[in-house]
Amino acid sequence: MIEIDNVTVMFGGVRGLNALSATLPEPVTGLVGPNGAGKTTLINVLSGFVRPTAGTVRIDGRDLAGIRPHKRAAFGIRRTFQNEQVVENLSAADNIAAVLDNVPTSGEPRTRLIARALDFVGLVSKANVLGRDLNAFDRRMVEIARATVGRPKLIMMDEPGAGLAQDESERLRDVIRNIHGFCGAQILLVDHDVDLISATCVTTLVLDFGSKLAYGPTAAALADPKVRAAYLGVVEEAA
Amino acid sequence: MTDQTLSRPAIVTGVKIEARQALIALAVVVVIAVLPELLNNYWLRTFISAAALAIASLSVSLLFAQLGMVSLAQFGLLGVGGWFALRVSHGFAVPFEVALVVGGVAAAIVGLVVGLPALRMRGLYLAIITLMMAGALQVLISAFGFPDGGSGILGKSSTARKMMARPFLANGDEAYLRYALVVLTICYVIVWMHVRSRPGRAWAMIRRGEVCALACGVDIVAYKVWAFALAGFLAGVAGGVLAGGIGQLDGSAFPASQSIMLFALTIVGGAYSCAGPLVAALLLRAFPSLLNDWHVDGNIATMVFGAGLLHALITAPNGVAGQIADAGSALARLVRRAKGKGKP
Repeated sequence: MIEIDNVTVMFGGVRGLNALSATLPEPVTGLVGPNGAGKTTLINVLSGFVRPTAGTVRIDGRDLAGIRPHKRAAFGIRRTFQNEQVVENLSAADNIAAVLDNVPTSGEPRTRLIARALDFVGLVSKANVLGRDLNAFDRRMVEIARATVGRPKLIMMDEPGAGLAQDESERLRDVIRNIHGFCGAQILLVDHDVDLISATCVTTLVLDFGSKLAYGPTAAALADPKVRAAYLGVVEEAA
Repeated sequence: MTDQTLSRPAIVTGVKIEARQALIALAVVVVIAVLPELLNNYWLRTFISAAALAIASLSVSLLFAQLGMVSLAQFGLLGVGGWFALRVSHGFAVPFEVALVVGGVAAAIVGLVVGLPALRMRGLYLAIITLMMAGALQVLISAFGFPDGGSGILGKSSTARKMMARPFLANGDEAYLRYALVVLTICYVIVWMHVRSRPGRAWAMIRRGEVCALACGVDIVAYKVWAFALAGFLAGVAGGVLAGGIGQLDGSAFPASQSIMLFALTIVGGAYSCAGPLVAALLLRAFPSLLNDWHVDGNIATMVFGAGLLHALITAPNGVAGQIADAGSALARLVRRAKGKGKP
C-alpha cells in the first residue's frame, strides 16, 4: 500500500507536486495526467531520486524518508524507466543477477530465481544474449524481469508501452497483469495509453498541476468530467 | 520444458568458455617459459618494462572500460608505488613481494584520493582533475627524488645509488622477466575475477547510468571508490615491478605527459579488450626499442602513436586488439567456408 501524505516538491519556483495526498491500496494502480502533471516526479519521490520539500510517503506503513535511495531496491521499491536502462554489456541473465546482488532473496539458488524471472517475461531462450543485442521489446521485458526478483513490494513502471507495436503492447499487457500474482508486488503504472491503463489497472489516480484531480475505479476516474477537461482542454460550463 | 531450453545454451557457452580459458592458460604458460629464452639482454630489459607497463595499462583500462571514467593520473600512481616499494626495500630489507604489495597499497590509497572527485564528476572534468593530480605527483616526485638506499623517510644517500634487491628466486634478467610476467598474470586474474562477479556487474550498471544503478540498489560511492583503489593498487604494483627491473627509478621519469601517453595507448591498444593492455605496453616500450634497434630515432614513435590514436578514435573503437580479434574471426570464417566447400 502506498500512502502519500501532503507531499510537495519544489523545483526552484515550480511546484512539481502540490500538497498531494492519496492512499493507493490496490494491487495495480494507474497514474495518469497531462504532460507536466507530476507523474514522473511522484515516481522519483518514491525512488528517492527527488526529496520532497514537504510531506511524507509510506510504503506498507514504512516512512521512506529514512531509507537512502540505493537502499530502496533492497527495501522493495523497484522501477522501470521511460528510457529503458538495460545494461548493454551484460547478458539478460546477468542484468537480473546484478539486481540480485543487492536485494534480499528467499535463499533459493540464484540461477533458479533468474530462470524463473526470465521465464515469466518469456526471455528464457535469450538468457545469454547481451543487452545490446536485444530488441526494444525484449529490453522492456528485461527491465520488468529485473524488477520482479528479490521480494519487491512496489514496482513502478514509467511508460512501459511507449514505442511498442500493437502485438507487443498486448503481450506487455498480459505481463503487467500477471506481475502481482508472480511476485506479490503492487504495481504503479504510468502511461499515456488509456487502453493499457483501462485493461490493467483496478484504480487510477489522475494528476494535474501536481495535485490530485481524481481517484477511483479506472473507468470512473477516466470518465470524470474534470479529467476530460484537463486532457481535452474543455472548460466545464455547468458547475 | 522451460529448464531444458534454459540449460542447453548455458551449458554450451560454459564448455566454450572453459575451453577458451584452458587455451589462454596454456598460451600464458608457454610465453612465460619460452619468451625469456629467446631474448638478448637489451630486449629482456625492454620486455621487463613492458610487463610493468602492461599492469599500468590494465589499471587504466579497468577504469575506462568498466566505469567509463578517464583517469590521467595512473602513471603518477605508478611513481608512487615505485617509490614506496623502493623505500621499503632499501629501508627494511624486506622480501621483494612485501615491497611490491606495500607499493601497491600506498598507490591504492593515493589513488583513492585521486578518485574522490570522480564521485561527483565525469568525462572531461574528471580527466582534467586527475591530470592536475598527476602534475602534482610529478612536482612532488621530482622535488624529493627517488629513494636510493640512504636512511630516513626519503632514503637519499650522497654516495652511489644502490640497486633495489630483486626477488631471491629471480635475480637474473631472464628469471626476473618470468617473475614480472607471473605478476602480470596475477593482476589479470584479479581484474578478471572482479569483472566476472558482483563488482563487475555493479560497475556495468554505473556505466549504463547512475539512475539505473541506484534503482537497482547499487551503492555507487562504494563501487566507484573500490574501482579507483583497485586501479591504484595495480598502478602501484606496476611501479614496484618497474623499480625491481631497473633497480632504481629516476624522479624525472614520471611526468604527467606519460599519464596521457599511457591513456592514449590504452585506447589505441583496445581498452575493452583483454589483450589491449598488452598491445599498449608493447607500443609504449617495445616499439621505441625496435626503432632504436633499426637505428631510427625512437621519438618518431610519438608521431606514430598520435596517428594511431586518431585511427583508433575514428575507425577502431576497440583498438588494435579488437582489430586483431576481428581479423581472427574473419580468418576462422574463411577456413570454415573453405572446409564447407571441400565437403560434397
